[in-house]
Amino acid sequence: MKILILGAGAIGGYVGGRLQQSGADVTFLVRPARQQALQRDGLVIKSKKGDAVLKVKSALGGNEGGPYDIVLLTCKAYDLDSALDAIAPAVGAGTTVVPLLNGMNHIDRLVARFGADKVVGGLARVGVALSPDGAVLHTSPFAAISFGERDGSAPRPALVALDAAVKKAGLDGGLHGNIVQDLWDKWIMLCTLAATCCLMRGTSGDILEADEGQAIVLEAVDECRKVAAAAGCDPGEKGMANVRSYLTQKGSRFAASMLHDLEKGGMVEADHVVGDMIARAKKAGVATPTLRIAYAHLQVYLARRARGGIGKPAM
Amino acid sequence: MLILGAGAVGGYWGARLTRAGVDVAFLLREKRAAQVKADGLVVKSPKGDFTVSPKVVTEGGVGGPYDVVVLACKGYDLESAIEAVAPAVGPDSTIVPMLNGHGHFAVLDERFGAARVAGGLARISGMLGPDGEILHSGASGVSFGERDGKAPRQALVELDAACKQAGIDGGLHPDINQDLWDKWVMLGAIASMCAAMRGTVGDIVATDDGAALMRETLEECRAVAAHAGHAPSDKVLAGIQAGLTQPGSKAVASILGDMEKGGAVEARHIVGDMLARARAAGLAAPNLRFAYAHLQAYEARRARGALK
Repeated sequence: MKILILGAGAIGGYVGGRLQQSGADVTFLVRPARQQALQRDGLVIKSKKGDAVLKVKSALGGNEGGPYDIVLLTCKAYDLDSALDAIAPAVGAGTTVVPLLNGMNHIDRLVARFGADKVVGGLARVGVALSPDGAVLHTSPFAAISFGERDGSAPRPALVALDAAVKKAGLDGGLHGNIVQDLWDKWIMLCTLAATCCLMRGTSGDILEADEGQAIVLEAVDECRKVAAAAGCDPGEKGMANVRSYLTQKGSRFAASMLHDLEKGGMVEADHVVGDMIARAKKAGVATPTLRIAYAHLQVYLARRARGGIGKPAM
Repeated sequence: MLILGAGAVGGYWGARLTRAGVDVAFLLREKRAAQVKADGLVVKSPKGDFTVSPKVVTEGGVGGPYDVVVLACKGYDLESAIEAVAPAVGPDSTIVPMLNGHGHFAVLDERFGAARVAGGLARISGMLGPDGEILHSGASGVSFGERDGKAPRQALVELDAACKQAGIDGGLHPDINQDLWDKWVMLGAIASMCAAMRGTVGDIVATDDGAALMRETLEECRAVAAHAGHAPSDKVLAGIQAGLTQPGSKAVASILGDMEKGGAVEARHIVGDMLARARAAGLAAPNLRFAYAHLQAYEARRARGALK
């Protein structure tokens, strides 16, 4: 089985690195600067599960090789357009595209580009970041990817093979019987965390220090849940209880990665993670007052970022 | 006349009064006192730069009693300010607080008696520069008067005359309570939104729901004022709303500047107290609630030393 991974960033680098370590045939599709760094330094992983410096196969756009059995898409949502163009030549008749992006909006665009039969569902749950020198820093106790047929049918051979490779590589997760529900479950958590951490500019613990911080977080989860339910994917009481307890741990230093991106002045997946949830809520007639003000906050951030700062206080 | 504080409000106002020949003393902390004694009060203003060398006193040597004691501190410094000015307050002194919000009146009345406490507010735009200079940037008005709306006592009449002599806008106001509410309604809305959104008025109104959020927040504040019997007039409200929804506006609440410097903020005084009054009146105030949670999360993060 030949696997192409678009991007050797935090998630792609970690997942692809572990797959290759266990013997899978992995190629990273990267930009020239990243390829030079990979050729010079190797793919550097720092993790409690074991550090590694790996010699990896990489390819540049226009010279992708292939065809591939699996294309893993690990870009950020705001880079999706260029990612689609980049992988297109590597997607052949027998290729399965496994996107590991947040949210849901990218799936429609992938289907439109490559056809529904080539696009499965997938997501990653890995606490990773890229260090300034390009090393993959894995910080979470877990490192899971989850994937499956979007219609819930029996998995195609490529996914069965990917599942075997994932297990061999010591990654958590693997084939999921209801990947669309899993996508919603992750999105509910992520959207709530991103919306509240960014709106309040603090960690979970900081938010809970505010008189009504916990109430606001719980309202945000409920807003997301109603959107999921309207799409036929209510996570159920047990799923909700897990999310709620995770988001309401006093003293937690946990924050959405979106807040870290925002405080570095970076690009954020505002439209994809929060804006699209609101758009779906509007269609379903669900009120989302918390997501609404959080999205306004993110739009203000993006406007300020675009013009490079803020005027001097004028009153 | 004694002015506690030589920041943007007390410093600018007092410097102008000093330059006009009014007998003003500044009550300052040791560090600020030493700076002002060494450099004078340096004012940089579109209305003209100048420097004055005012009388400066420090805690323990305030002198007095004074006819007028102006409090030009932040809300979170009120308690230490009260201790500092207490020796300067005699039986005939009038205290003129220039703080934001309304919560300080109960504290001052309790300590000094309501008869000694007049109402006051500042509309002075400015900030302190890195060397303690006062960077004045626009409006330069003050407003004060009897809180019960009666004819002003002699001390306030004289303060009004001094302000006019110094070319300060405003002065005696026949309905200072209403003026306090008018300012708080505006400030409550702009401070809440600029803080919670971390941007200028122009940034906020450029977002999908920003102008609506601004109008809703203003309405939340207006409803609180109305419940207290002090709804701003339609004309005042229209003026505030136009300012808060003006596309491209670079206006921003000073609380955001304080936050972006990692400083203390008047969260409870400007937003928390407005929210508490909304709650007590049974009024929904969802945007004030978000904004106050944002400010409290900021304070929690600041307290643990983890601001970025």
